[in-house]
Amino acid sequence: MKRKRTIQNRKSHNVRPWLYSAPSLVLIGLIVLFPVLYTGYISLTNMNIYNWFDYTLIGLKNYMTALFVFDAGFLAALLRTVLWTAVNMVLQLVIAFVLASLLNQKELKLRGLYKTILMFPWAMPGYVSILLWKTGIFNSRFGLLNQWMEKLGLQTRVWLSTDVSAFLCCTVVNLWLALPFMIMIMDGALQSVDRSYYECARLNGAGVRQRAFLITLPLIRPVIAPSVIITIFTTFKQFDVVYLLTQQSGSKTGADIHTVLTYAYENAFITNNYGFSSAISILIFLLLIVFSLATRRELKEDG
Amino acid sequence: MRRKLKTAIKTIILNIFFIICCFIALIPVLYAFSVSLNAQNSLVGSNFSFIPAEFTLHNYKAVFLDKPVLLWMKNSLILSVSTLIIALGVSIPAAYAFSRYRFRGRKAVLYVLLLLNAFPTVLSMFAIYRLLSPMGLVNSKLGLVIVYTGTMAIFGLWNMKGYFDTIPGGIEEAAKIDGANDWQLTTKIVLPLAKPSVIVTAVMILIYVWNEYIYATTFMTGGDQYTLAAGLYSLQATETSGNWPIFAAASLVVSVPVLVIFLLVQKHMVSGLTVGGMKG
Repeated sequence: MKRKRTIQNRKSHNVRPWLYSAPSLVLIGLIVLFPVLYTGYISLTNMNIYNWFDYTLIGLKNYMTALFVFDAGFLAALLRTVLWTAVNMVLQLVIAFVLASLLNQKELKLRGLYKTILMFPWAMPGYVSILLWKTGIFNSRFGLLNQWMEKLGLQTRVWLSTDVSAFLCCTVVNLWLALPFMIMIMDGALQSVDRSYYECARLNGAGVRQRAFLITLPLIRPVIAPSVIITIFTTFKQFDVVYLLTQQSGSKTGADIHTVLTYAYENAFITNNYGFSSAISILIFLLLIVFSLATRRELKEDG
Repeated sequence: MRRKLKTAIKTIILNIFFIICCFIALIPVLYAFSVSLNAQNSLVGSNFSFIPAEFTLHNYKAVFLDKPVLLWMKNSLILSVSTLIIALGVSIPAAYAFSRYRFRGRKAVLYVLLLLNAFPTVLSMFAIYRLLSPMGLVNSKLGLVIVYTGTMAIFGLWNMKGYFDTIPGGIEEAAKIDGANDWQLTTKIVLPLAKPSVIVTAVMILIYVWNEYIYATTFMTGGDQYTLAAGLYSLQATETSGNWPIFAAASLVVSVPVLVIFLLVQKHMVSGLTVGGMKG
């Protein structure tokens, strides 16, 4: 009797969790797994606007085009995305570190107020902020930037229409959006550092720079690592900023600063080159997987 | 004395620096706010100042009366609340199962889910369209709810599972001996203890649906089906035309609910996201 019960128990132990998670897994299967598999399949075909119904399998040709024909644009977009990620991450880390350090100066009495206000961009809906930047700041007619330029007697310009200036504008907006989170993480990390290290260093005559590089940075590195890695992912996958500022269908600004994501999007929904776009999507997916495998250990140790 | 002076100067410089930083953090919203209240509409002139000479609520009136903003708000509410209920309804039992049971395939599934989560949502749109279109779920609210629930399901499962893991099983063991079943264990013990993570998960789902515009504009045709995000997207001013003051007013109206919710849960935000964490 007792034995029978344990067997039954074990059986239910194998069935029940699947039962409980079935609805969730079915939804994930439909909305996440199916698109990946289907995209993988379409990437092997020549589906495009001309071959909408009668598409055929063409093997790895789309991948070859993406990877070996530079004019196809994928490699350029990939390089640009890497540059975008690097520039944004470096600026974000440096600025957040400086701001968080200054916030922790003991002379600063209004620290709480400043911190609350600095968190504000994080609370705003991202796409609203981006659209407000686009119209309120960068618009050539009623944007603040051009009004200020005029006041200073400088030449006004169409900020989002050339590559370099559009890239810089996107970077500014992305920093504005992402800094609050990074400042909060840095601030938390800085507060976790034991004060006595600094006292000790000061007694031994270490300067500001030495204290920052020899004490603070090594100590906060493991604390901020998981958040930094997650931010690298979101920066690499950033779609809204570049898309909303420069690529919106119907109102493109003329700057070509495609990242891999907007590039794949354009190939699917603007030029309707579905096979090619799917191949790019799979390549992006593989890149992201490789990167997450490479950083898995770092995340696990601290998380 | 000299030291005191030095500290005072440092304090002043620090404060000025942070006032500038705060100004930069608020500038797009401040500008939109002042434009939306400005009665003179002298936007193109260079004599613009942040404090309008003459105030008006005309733009806000226009947003609510001339544009279908209330209808969009209703759509957004229906979509976000139904997504929230379904997403929590499927994610909580799943998170409980993956946290409390040890079964074959558990680790593999968790790991695959994490990898699948790396696939950018924008890139799934074409495939999802091909999947939902034959079922008649394109241009329907149900279709969007399915998309949103599926998109947030992995996050919900992982985030709450991580938090459930930190709740020791001892209390449940005791309750089990007293004859409690899984339903009672979850609703009476685990959920109350996991409140921060459930709240944060719920808020993340709400904010995601409230802010989602790509699927909402692609899958929904016709302005009366739009959500607030999609509607605002359609209202925006282009480089040379469009009504920027009305858009500014609408932007702020759309943002207020999100700001309020964010401020309400801010104190849970850090623990609810980092303790469970989608961090593997």
